[in-house]
Amino acid sequence: MSGFFNWIMDPKRRGALLVTPAIILLFVMNIFPLMWSFGLSFFHYKASSLKPPRFAGLYYYEKVLSDPVVWERFQTTALIVASSVFVQMVFGFALALLFAKKFPLRREILMLILTPMMLSFVAVGVFFKLFYEPTFGLISQAFIYFTGEPFALLSTTWGAIAGIVIADAWMWTPFVMLLVLAGLVSVPNYLYEAAEVDRATGWERFKTVTFPYVKGLLLLALLFRTIETFKLFDVVYIITAGGPGTSTETIAVYVYRVAFQYFKTSQSSALSYILLFVVIVLTNLYLYFVNRREQEG
Amino acid sequence: MKNVIVKGGIIAATAMMALTAGFTTSASAKDIVIQMAAPDWGPTRFMQEYADKSYKSPSGNNVKLAIDFIPWPSFYERVAASMASGEKKYQLVVSDSQWIGTFIEGGQFMKLNEYIDKDPELQGILEDVHPALTTAYATYPYKSENIYGFPQMPDTKVSVYRTDLFCDAGEKAAFKAKYSKMLPCSYEDWEAVDWDTWGNIGEFFTRKAGEKLAGKTLTEDFYGVAYQAGKGYDFSSCQINAFIWQGGASIWDESNQPNAQAEGVVNSPEAVAALEKYISYLKYAPPVWKTGQMDIFQINDLYMQGKIAAIVNWNAVSATAVNPEVSTVADKTAYALPPGTMVDGKMVRWDNIGGQPFVLTTWNDDEVVQESLNIVKWWLSDDTQTNFAKNGGSSALQSVMNAPGYNDLEPWNRAHVELLPWQMDFWHVPEFFELLTQQQEEFDKAITGQVTAKEAMDAIANYQQELLTEVGRID
Repeated sequence: MSGFFNWIMDPKRRGALLVTPAIILLFVMNIFPLMWSFGLSFFHYKASSLKPPRFAGLYYYEKVLSDPVVWERFQTTALIVASSVFVQMVFGFALALLFAKKFPLRREILMLILTPMMLSFVAVGVFFKLFYEPTFGLISQAFIYFTGEPFALLSTTWGAIAGIVIADAWMWTPFVMLLVLAGLVSVPNYLYEAAEVDRATGWERFKTVTFPYVKGLLLLALLFRTIETFKLFDVVYIITAGGPGTSTETIAVYVYRVAFQYFKTSQSSALSYILLFVVIVLTNLYLYFVNRREQEG
Repeated sequence: MKNVIVKGGIIAATAMMALTAGFTTSASAKDIVIQMAAPDWGPTRFMQEYADKSYKSPSGNNVKLAIDFIPWPSFYERVAASMASGEKKYQLVVSDSQWIGTFIEGGQFMKLNEYIDKDPELQGILEDVHPALTTAYATYPYKSENIYGFPQMPDTKVSVYRTDLFCDAGEKAAFKAKYSKMLPCSYEDWEAVDWDTWGNIGEFFTRKAGEKLAGKTLTEDFYGVAYQAGKGYDFSSCQINAFIWQGGASIWDESNQPNAQAEGVVNSPEAVAALEKYISYLKYAPPVWKTGQMDIFQINDLYMQGKIAAIVNWNAVSATAVNPEVSTVADKTAYALPPGTMVDGKMVRWDNIGGQPFVLTTWNDDEVVQESLNIVKWWLSDDTQTNFAKNGGSSALQSVMNAPGYNDLEPWNRAHVELLPWQMDFWHVPEFFELLTQQQEEFDKAITGQVTAKEAMDAIANYQQELLTEVGRID
């Protein structure tokens, strides 16, 4: 027994032994379901039915890619992603620049600013839904105070998109700020001193000193936020449920409907893999640009 | 001495027999748990409490009903996930009537005809259950002879209104002067209310902050009427169907497959007019309707906050309006029939049924099936149903609802009983959720002004025709 113990605890094997539980967990909880659902996308199968799957080949990939509804949902998602990530980057950067300086109560205010990203998606969704509620919501009450008329932000396509973008940006701007701030505080002071000696303007200082230091982290923030916003579900589902009509129905909400309301398991699996493919392409695109810039640098 | 020995022998033998009998009984009495998936609300909470208190299986087994209470918003997903996973956890499931096709075709819900045919008690119950409930809750294909369930909680939509406003002398006189009609105050007055009058009521009571309402100055805007207009689940469809049926139009008739068509029926001129009529009264509701999120809970909440004069809502949801712990208008709320449509001199009240059946699952052995059916019999017994009605529920049995005093048990009972014969249901086919989701989206577009009623109905008809043809339900 002690022979086996010594054998297994041999430094050559100890590493493998230590990571084995994590690998098993990863396989059972992540890799196996991924492979299983990938397999299902090639079969006729409904999770609501006890009937066994039948082979379908690429039928569901063809069906999904030729479905105009899927393309509409992709467009809606792209619009929300572009708007929300843009707002997050602009405000995140601006906040980072602000908090890179020292001022009274900086730490306390910084903690408050970081709070939204620590909240759950559901809490944020419910909070903004009540905030936008036209009869008793805060925004509408303010409108009634000034104009005498209630205001229903979510009643139009653009209003509903704005409502979602505001909620998502409110929650995730601190994340962008945090990453950029990390870049800003890492800029050595002597570079600013040198720029000052060279009589560089504020914009020149930003362009030649600050930005190159935060560029990498900014791209990382852009990458993370684009991927995450692409999967946006909870906030949309709670605030608008995809409405009015289908004007805010993102691809993630659509996948949910197909998978868990229509129980078209094969179709939703195929759609999910196409979604995964899009995210991988986006990731690689970003990485390509990052690498190219680094090589150019 | 001999007698003593004989007597002693008899006593000993009797004692032995009694002991043996007792031992046999306790050894054969099994402990059985019947798990039931159910939404978390009053009617199912009562069922659990009453079962804990009073249920004893006639078989002699120790049977316990264990209800898994699931919150309403995630109820379908949780039940569907359980059915799909093959975990075989539940023996009984409370199901919305529309879902039964999905889980019958999926092989999870059990056909009960064989058991009913063998059991006079179940036959008696089925005869006593209101036929509208059996048709809507239990038959698949819809309106066929195949029985899959029994009512757990029947529900209908009723008018809920403020007596302090509708019975106010000043308001009554002003309404009469403006519309040459009587403002309905009593239950009997509401019997004559049609949708046009509903619109008049809506317009009459919609007032701005600063105006007077029943002699008091309003501090905030007040709204006349509201009914469900929400994109979620079936919140618009259930009300719009009432307008469609009362307006002489139809939805796709699943009981007449494959001949029944969607194109030309779903988007008939009458159906378009019905949707237009439904939308026309929304302007008298709180502004949340403009977002397409005015669901059954929202209108109930706003009513209980004292912001609306009258609503049409499910009686099971609006039962809280008379609870002073949650409602600011509890002492001035009454229930009545919802508005109808006058057709050839007669008021018609076709409407979409609410409530749920409970069904048996297919994976249980004979003994568990029998015990599940024993619970069905217990739930639909006169005693249980009477107690259910006394505790806020609605009985499914005609013998109970026709008994003297039933209408006085709850303020909505009278309307509910009168409305049952007018109830119809929408599709039970497995494609239900796709049909419903697309329809809700189109209704929502029409409600929020993105498309016209005609465009919405055309899109719905077109989608239904295509989908139902693809799956072989339309030739």
